[in-house]
Amino acid sequence: MTSFVIAAVAMLIALVPAGITIARGTLADAVIGFELVTSVAVMVFALLAEGFKRPSLFEFPVILALLLFGSGLVFVRALERWL
Amino acid sequence: MIREVITDVLLALAVLTVAASAVGVAIVPDTYARLHYVTPAAVVAPVLVALAVFVTEGLDVNTGETVVALVFMIAAAPFLSHATIRAIRVREAGDWRDRPPTEHTEHTEHTDSTRARDSR
Repeated sequence: MTSFVIAAVAMLIALVPAGITIARGTLADAVIGFELVTSVAVMVFALLAEGFKRPSLFEFPVILALLLFGSGLVFVRALERWL
Repeated sequence: MIREVITDVLLALAVLTVAASAVGVAIVPDTYARLHYVTPAAVVAPVLVALAVFVTEGLDVNTGETVVALVFMIAAAPFLSHATIRAIRVREAGDWRDRPPTEHTEHTEHTDSTRARDSR
């Protein structure tokens, strides 16, 4: 197991407090926790791709980083208007 | 050997940044203050990860794709933070401005009508 995989697992474990915020906080807190988790997910994909030496998997963080912007805006717009 | 050490240090810093951000999001009581703790995880930690990939791989396709993802994240972070703050403000106060727009419009109309009456 390379240091990249270890870092990816450590990042996922480090997200537990944010998960608690999403589960127990208000709706606005949950959206903020969601933004944190998606940002970290981009890094976890890059770390796993490097850790397992799969160059083709490096496309996932790029796509997710693009979707992160759109999905975040959709969430906050829904939060503002309908929730 | 030295590359591995530098990579490990960069990755450890990235993990610590994410952990500190997650703890900050969890323990800060104010919603507006909470959003400040997303920025290090969305901007600083990806830079450290991209540097770690660069130190390990050098200038190749993997590093390039990581940098592209990093650029997208850094470009999106301020817009997303602004939109989130705006949404929370609208939910709490009904409008993101200090004064509701209807009140401002009524005041302007009243002033204009007063001026028109005075000018006659």
